[in-house]
Amino acid sequence: MIEVSELKKTYGGGVEAVKGISFEVEAGEVFGLLGPNGAGKSTTIGMLTTTIKPTSGSAIVAGQDVARHPLAARAASGIVFQEAVVDRALTGRRNLDVHARLWGVGSGEIGARIDEAAEAFGVAELLDRPVSTYSGGQRRRLEIARALLSEPQVLFLDEPTVGLDPRIRYELLDLVGGLREQGGMTVLLTTHYLDEAERLCDRVAIIHDGAIVAVDTPDRLIAGLGAEIVELRVEHDAHGAMSALKAGGIASDDALSLGSTLTIPLHERAGHEALVAIAELGLATTEVAARRTTLDDVYLRLTGTRLAA
Amino acid sequence: MTASATVTSIRTAPAARPIQAGAQIRAFATLVRRRFALSARSPRELVVPVVNPIVFALVIAPALAGIVGRFRGGIDYMTFVAIGTTGLLIPINALFAGIGVFVDRETGARRDLLAAPIHRSLLVLGNLSVAVTTTGLQLVALLAAAALRGAIFNTSFAGALWFVGGAALLAIGMYGVAETLANRMATQEEYVGVLPAVAILPYFFAGSLFPISSLPGWLTVVARFIPLTHALALMRYGLVDHRGLGLHDIWGMSDPNVMAALSLGVLAVFALGMTFIAVRVFNKAAVH
Repeated sequence: MIEVSELKKTYGGGVEAVKGISFEVEAGEVFGLLGPNGAGKSTTIGMLTTTIKPTSGSAIVAGQDVARHPLAARAASGIVFQEAVVDRALTGRRNLDVHARLWGVGSGEIGARIDEAAEAFGVAELLDRPVSTYSGGQRRRLEIARALLSEPQVLFLDEPTVGLDPRIRYELLDLVGGLREQGGMTVLLTTHYLDEAERLCDRVAIIHDGAIVAVDTPDRLIAGLGAEIVELRVEHDAHGAMSALKAGGIASDDALSLGSTLTIPLHERAGHEALVAIAELGLATTEVAARRTTLDDVYLRLTGTRLAA
Repeated sequence: MTASATVTSIRTAPAARPIQAGAQIRAFATLVRRRFALSARSPRELVVPVVNPIVFALVIAPALAGIVGRFRGGIDYMTFVAIGTTGLLIPINALFAGIGVFVDRETGARRDLLAAPIHRSLLVLGNLSVAVTTTGLQLVALLAAAALRGAIFNTSFAGALWFVGGAALLAIGMYGVAETLANRMATQEEYVGVLPAVAILPYFFAGSLFPISSLPGWLTVVARFIPLTHALALMRYGLVDHRGLGLHDIWGMSDPNVMAALSLGVLAVFALGMTFIAVRVFNKAAVH
């Protein structure tokens, strides 16, 4: 449903926002682009939705080349942008109506679709108020409802929960998860939240500094490091501590040191066994803990930096 | 209020729908309605541009007429200036309408419009249509006020057509200028800063208050290249100046209809040219 080949975007001044990325998204799949701010996620979505012009490369959305048939590609797409993209002076209903008409929804269907979408996303009671009176969460729900009015084949969600408080975030994740359960629609989601990627995505592409460094299901990405990880903070000589852990057979080549924090993927070893082995080494540590491996650990392994703050 | 988190049915269209001309026309109508709805929310946008010209027509023009008296060709000076105030109204209204470009950009609404399956030129043309329509309504109000104050208009069907043609093409061209400037400038402050030079300065050299033949020789030549000069001469020809004295100041010919057609042609080139430029500048500015 989405085929991206060597897509590149270089801005004036030689800034390479996206460095020749390639990936494919199957029909009905929820695909995540996971990376920090500035990694190139929004630029990638911009190119796929024809609101940003690629420097080179190609992209096909719903069978339409975005460069040669941009209108057809846009007709098949629904987009929820990262920033607020609404006419605040107009009511929610008017915003939905304008969008539906621009996307070619028949006049006879518009009213019913608006009512159905508003009901599904909990904004029915707000529709006749100006959007300027909505909270951030309400506005975001309106935007998702709006993107679905045209029954798009592909839905692009650019950081859909950024800036929202945790309760509203989880409500929205439930809504987006509901889309996934319905099936049929292809979703490309960009996020820097690990829980969104792990919870919602069938596959995740980890993007760092404009390049994709890994693509796989969240489970397989995590399994590459093992189910558990040990994190220890040493008082001094992190390098020496790492050497001791490697010599003791606890750490392997994929262990990482970030400042005074050592991160040790355990692969097949159980967490409690590793903790015992580490204690026997007698290292000067201020903190030692075993925990479940997350995508943040995968990100650290691949890029040398943490995604989560 | 806690949101219901149940999505009961989400449908997907079976295949990408072909983009039809009818859909583009409907999209254009939607964009026009949207712009009207936004303008209606800000009545200031409709009232402010017409205040100065109305004050000019109702207060200053009669006062000047009291001093000048009858004008050349037997035209009443107050009527002469009343039509001249359209030379303020049309450009100012167009430049004010250009502020909508900043609003769309800053509120983010433009991004959703850019992502819509419509030709992007329609975004400019939709705004243009509303700006020209609004200007037309304000023009009617201005001339009605001037007539009530004592301006004397004497027109025919053909004269009305010359007037409407001149006014409409000037409005279209000036909106093209506004849209072009707004898309080239980063901030509203910068844009408002050029408003006097673009919308007001030409007023003083285009025959609004006195014929261009009264200007120094070299300025008369410059005035002939200002679209507003042609528009005012054409509008006066349509409403009061049946001998085409204003057109003669520009073209120096004897047949007023020929001169009117030439000035209409100049305005048509201005309108089409600026619209074309505005669409190109918009496309370049909106999609990086």
